[in-house]
Amino acid sequence: MAPAQRVVRQRKLNKSTPQSVLREEQIESAEYDSLQNQYHVETGVERSEENEYHLQVALKANSNGSEKDEVKEIPAPPAVEGADINYDELYSLEFHQPDTYIRFSDTVEEACGCPYDMTTEDDVFLKAYNQKKTPSHRCSEDKFEKIMDVFELTAQSHAPFAAVDNTVVPFDKMKPELIKQEMGDSTAPLRANVAEKLITLAKDIYEHWRERRQASGNNPLQPSLKFETHQENDDGDPYVCFRRRDVRPTRKTRARDVQSTDKLKRLRREIEEGRHLVALACHREELKRQVINTDKLIFEARAKVKEAKVRLGIKGDDEDLINQRPQKRKVSDYPQMQRVPGTQLRLPARPDGRPLDADLVMLSDVLAQKENLLQREIEEKTLQHRKWNANHIDLTREPLSPVNGHGPDTGFRPATAQYQYLMTPPSSVTSETFDQPSPAQEVTEPAKFRYNSPEEDENRSRPAYRRRIGRGGRLWIDRRGMSSCVKTLDDEIRSDRYKYDQDDDDEQPVYEMDPYDTRALKFRATIPFPAHLAQNSRRVEPNRPAVQSPPNSRTAAAPQPAVAPT
Amino acid sequence: MTTGVQAQDATVGSPAPRLKGKATVDTLSIGCLAMVMKDGKLRRAEILSIKETKSGRQFYCNFDNFNKRLDEWVPAARIDFSQDVEWPSPEKPKETKKAAAPVAKKTTTGNKKAQKRPAATRETSIISEGETPHPWAEFTESQKATPDAEGDVTMTLDLDATPGADDDAMDVDDAAADAVAAKSQLNRDFNDEEEKKRLRHGGSMTQNQAEISRIRNISKVQFGRYDLFPWYFSPYPECFTQEDLMYICEFCLSYYGDLKSFGRHRQKCTLLHPPGNEIYRDDYVSFFEIDGRRQRTWCRNLCLLSKMFLDHKTLYYDVDPFLYYVMTTRDKKGCHLVGYFSKEKESAEGYNVACILTLPQYQRKGYGRLLIQFSYELSKIEGKLGSPEKPLSDLGLLSYRQYWTENMIEILLEYNEREEKCSIDALASQLAMTSGDVESTLQALKMQVYLKAEHKIVIPAHLEARHLAMKEKQKTKPKRVIEPGRIKWRPPIFPASTRTWAW
Repeated sequence: MAPAQRVVRQRKLNKSTPQSVLREEQIESAEYDSLQNQYHVETGVERSEENEYHLQVALKANSNGSEKDEVKEIPAPPAVEGADINYDELYSLEFHQPDTYIRFSDTVEEACGCPYDMTTEDDVFLKAYNQKKTPSHRCSEDKFEKIMDVFELTAQSHAPFAAVDNTVVPFDKMKPELIKQEMGDSTAPLRANVAEKLITLAKDIYEHWRERRQASGNNPLQPSLKFETHQENDDGDPYVCFRRRDVRPTRKTRARDVQSTDKLKRLRREIEEGRHLVALACHREELKRQVINTDKLIFEARAKVKEAKVRLGIKGDDEDLINQRPQKRKVSDYPQMQRVPGTQLRLPARPDGRPLDADLVMLSDVLAQKENLLQREIEEKTLQHRKWNANHIDLTREPLSPVNGHGPDTGFRPATAQYQYLMTPPSSVTSETFDQPSPAQEVTEPAKFRYNSPEEDENRSRPAYRRRIGRGGRLWIDRRGMSSCVKTLDDEIRSDRYKYDQDDDDEQPVYEMDPYDTRALKFRATIPFPAHLAQNSRRVEPNRPAVQSPPNSRTAAAPQPAVAPT
Repeated sequence: MTTGVQAQDATVGSPAPRLKGKATVDTLSIGCLAMVMKDGKLRRAEILSIKETKSGRQFYCNFDNFNKRLDEWVPAARIDFSQDVEWPSPEKPKETKKAAAPVAKKTTTGNKKAQKRPAATRETSIISEGETPHPWAEFTESQKATPDAEGDVTMTLDLDATPGADDDAMDVDDAAADAVAAKSQLNRDFNDEEEKKRLRHGGSMTQNQAEISRIRNISKVQFGRYDLFPWYFSPYPECFTQEDLMYICEFCLSYYGDLKSFGRHRQKCTLLHPPGNEIYRDDYVSFFEIDGRRQRTWCRNLCLLSKMFLDHKTLYYDVDPFLYYVMTTRDKKGCHLVGYFSKEKESAEGYNVACILTLPQYQRKGYGRLLIQFSYELSKIEGKLGSPEKPLSDLGLLSYRQYWTENMIEILLEYNEREEKCSIDALASQLAMTSGDVESTLQALKMQVYLKAEHKIVIPAHLEARHLAMKEKQKTKPKRVIEPGRIKWRPPIFPASTRTWAW
């Protein structure tokens, strides 16, 4: 790299090493000159041409920059605008640019119509020919070209080596081809007079064609490129072009092997998954059939029961005739039902890796997914709020209990992730109305309370809740397993208060609060009365007592004043 | 016209000892080296062909150290018969097994000397062909510089043959010549094979050229509104060499020797733009992507057309393995072909351009830079570093050098401003150039120095000045550039089945 006389031995230049970038004036110019490296620069131009005079001049001008006025261009034969070109006539079509980018795939052959172009010779012949004929028997240029094209093609296919053995394809062989071409795509045979006219015309042109073929050594009339015919002769012939290429041999490497193994494995896995899916779908459908069959049996059994009842005059116990379970399940499954269609639809699409299907996003899926997301978030928040609220005690005198109903079930339910299952409404409530009091609403409420997040006591027994309707139609949430936190409160005054609360849990706790305190009023005013609560409690109330509040659970409970459930 | 003549005389330029002597118009034969008037100066020229015209005998001359595109037919009057001519060597080191005789091309033994001629002589002769207003900028392509390729062989040949040759000392090399010639002959044949083998699987450029293809075979071409004067041989049907004027349809690029045929074709041809998908459009140019396999005829036509202006382009093999990126300008008549570059669908050497050309009527207008920029924008989208296939032509080299220089200076000045360091790789990845190209450009511009035990990049004052001047000029007259945001293109993927190029 460095010239021999250089004293300094250069370190090898690493391409990834950062080099400082200086302007020429930032170093001493004398130094710069002496530092000029005599690299041999790869130009990429062929060696024998690298030294061409004009190129060297141009390169020198570029790298020295000194002689700025130097001619830097390499002389070349010019292109001139043709003086005698009738451009508008030759190029008569107008181009209209589409607004979008052009997409086009027609080939030259498709875009150029009949491949035979008549020559000056043909033109002379055709003009002379037409002169002799009556107007109705004249031949148009298009027609002429079509016929010539048939001749050429037929000659090519019937006698590909005509140039060598001088075979002339007789007119009889041309006839069927002519008819075929005239018919085009239609299947109906040509009318006799049309065919006859065509044949007479073609016969005349055939003579002209034959003469021309003979004059050109029975070669195709249209000039064509030379393609490879015979390896040895062709090789040195610069007119032979566009030979076929060989396939690039793929080199066998370990990486390639691994690649193809991986590919096979993946393919197998994907097929396997597909099979599995089909099996599952099949299983599902079988289950469905079972369900339907069972339903049918049940229905029939009920019908019999009903019949028997009517016959025997038994009243009551009509619940047996109504399908309760499915309804319940429907409701309790509600959040999953939301999730299920989404996941089930997506599951088959994703793992089987068929992009087409995966790409087909259904609006319902998207909605369901969103819904699920929302739902999950709500649940999370709800849980969190529950945690925060775990030890919250509403100290207002007559606390509003904007509690959203837990199930009307008699017992306590653990407050766990199973939260949604607690939402089972009384049977009289339709699922629609129940949709409304879904946790979504509860989430908004808590914002109005001032929470303190109480310290979490891990040792505490699992909290449990129940809902019930108190006097005056108020809805209550009873908690269990949290009382200890109250006891741990240091606040003497407060713990004092509870002393008197023990006697009756149905008793409203009495707080020392001024009911007319504007602050309390204001605060309460911010708590909206949940719509569902209004509906529910009103409707539910009459039959509540029967269903709810078994006394046994109450004894175990250390009932607390109702708090916001969230 | 001349085809028969020169084929057998393949050894014209062999460096074997040459006899000198006086000649006359009649005795002057193919293969002779004579002094011929060119642009008002006498230059050494090789006679490649001879033809009779009405005005007398004409000689096809290839001038020492001038590109072949300046070869021309000269009347006897321009030949200086008062000086000795060098006769072709009588014995033929190889029998004409192949008309391909790069040997002849390598007549350039003289080249070395011409270079050593006093600078003054050269400068004056620069003006070149009288009436020619020298358009420039054909960008040629590339192919890797295979070390064992023809070029190298002839190089060694030259070196061996002309040790310390001074100006006219053709005879000096005579001694060594025989051995060298014999040896190189072997090498050459071998390399022919090598090259064909290489090209069999890919590539578009050749270092080998058949003897016959040294002579321009088409004299004039009507293309759209323009008359083009071809620079090099192109394998159009042989009968066209008889015609004074060949017609090429501007849109489908089909070729006609007969005006009536051409007129008829024009009535039927419905193409108004290259037959592919438009992948770029701004208010100045459009780019179309064309698959050589899908549009075989059109791409072959394009190759034939461009071969007239690209010396080292090979049409030996077919167009299937290439994609063609065609730049056009629009008017109400259609999208007119301005230039194009081809690109291998799968380049083993990582080339992003195979052949690249701006048609002569659009040269020297900045279109070449757009083509080059576009090729690098595609490489950026692919996330690859690209380089043009070698060999480059002279005009190709200049265009690429210019593009590289401008872009590198721009970036380096920013680095300098921020006083940051810059590595070759960093430059390369910013410009989607191979680091080899970055390195060689730095060296060619004398920017790579070794100072205080450190490699440094120095921006020469004149380049900085030129860059600033260019910036200044662009304020009033903005340079056309490719806007990457307008490219609607994804790297095409070819499944294995379509990569089988043997039909």
